[in-house]
Amino acid sequence: MNSDNIISIFQFIFLLFLQAFLLNNINLFGFINPNLYLLFIVVFPLNSNSTLLIVLGFLLGLLLDLLTQGSGGHTIASLTIAFLRPYIVKFSFGVNYEIPLGMIQGSLPSQRLLYLTLVIFVHHLVLFSVIYFSFDNIITIIKNTLFTSFFTFILIYISLGLFKEKK
Amino acid sequence: MRQLINAILKYKNTLIYLGLLILSLIFLNQRSFYHQSIFSNASLVLSSNFNLIGKNFANYIDLAEQNEKLLAENEKLKTLELIQFGEQSQKNKTLDSFGFEVSTARIIKNSYSNARNYLIIDKGYRDGMEIEMGVISSDGVIGVINQVTSNFSSVLSILHRDLKINAGFKKNGAYGSLFWEGSHPRIMKLDDISTLNPVAVGDTIVTGGMSDYFPYGIPIGTILNFEKPKLEGYYDIEIELFSNLTQKEFVYVVKNKKIDQLKQLIYE
Repeated sequence: MNSDNIISIFQFIFLLFLQAFLLNNINLFGFINPNLYLLFIVVFPLNSNSTLLIVLGFLLGLLLDLLTQGSGGHTIASLTIAFLRPYIVKFSFGVNYEIPLGMIQGSLPSQRLLYLTLVIFVHHLVLFSVIYFSFDNIITIIKNTLFTSFFTFILIYISLGLFKEKK
Repeated sequence: MRQLINAILKYKNTLIYLGLLILSLIFLNQRSFYHQSIFSNASLVLSSNFNLIGKNFANYIDLAEQNEKLLAENEKLKTLELIQFGEQSQKNKTLDSFGFEVSTARIIKNSYSNARNYLIIDKGYRDGMEIEMGVISSDGVIGVINQVTSNFSSVLSILHRDLKINAGFKKNGAYGSLFWEGSHPRIMKLDDISTLNPVAVGDTIVTGGMSDYFPYGIPIGTILNFEKPKLEGYYDIEIELFSNLTQKEFVYVVKNKKIDQLKQLIYE
């Protein structure tokens, strides 16, 4: 086990418990819970096994749902975003990009921004679509998606900034 | 085999994703009643649509058999209905003493535009048909059998200038003879109703029980209009038939079980 794997496991557990016990109780404006656990999928090393990421994403969402007594939306959403991550990386960073590090360095800020926004937005769209699961509530779905992804984006960006200064 | 494994390995991400997705959908189904109801609703719609298509196809294949069954059932029900009509006249009849036997038949040939119209039905003396049996339909009177061969019978249609049947009012039992003048396949004339009886447009006319051919109470038609000629004691009444004789396919033949006894009385 090298240090990368240990860091990943630590991030997994830390983000899971943080999300379950702290962040889900914030309820900004009554309905917004920023989903910081997405940070795990965002910073997962880009050159490692994508199959492993899918399984880990599923586990992350499943454990979160079990801890928060949720109905299963997080499971499906994080599973889907883990599956789609390679395609989003290819889309935002270009086909030839090869990143050995876990943190995204040496790339244009606009590409990083695009990657982050896409991951967060797609994840929240899937999450709220599964939770509401009907076309009648589409306005609610869109509203929740936009607001929650905005706050999640802020939180994740701050966290990334904190981590970046260490390196 | 190797190619199969290679194919699976090539798409392993997608396969693992789909597998875990199904797992998480089952999980979702179990944890949330709302989603459970949506899934079961969707599965009901889907399965019922496919079942409907298959059922329509199977139904079409079974149509002939279903028709036979319906005809047999109709025979039984028609007997009961005729008994019901008879009971309305407040005579004390029980099921055993109802004097008519009912059987179904199919019209093979019809006519309604001549002055004297005949029908041909597909039952003959092999099926128990005899001459002078009454023929009725689901909504009225058709005629009387006048000729029988081994497999077919000829029926004197009610639209025949020489045929008169006994018919009366449902409300008070006043009876007369009903016959056809030849003008319209649905309009007949009722004679011999005395002006002592109250008559109104729309009164229902049924078979009176006085004829040998038909049991009491089969609805024939309603009064279209009537006239009271000055020098006679009888009304001139026009009847509109309930049934459309130009479009009949299935009929019932009624056999009066006691017709031999009645004939003996009349001709002696």
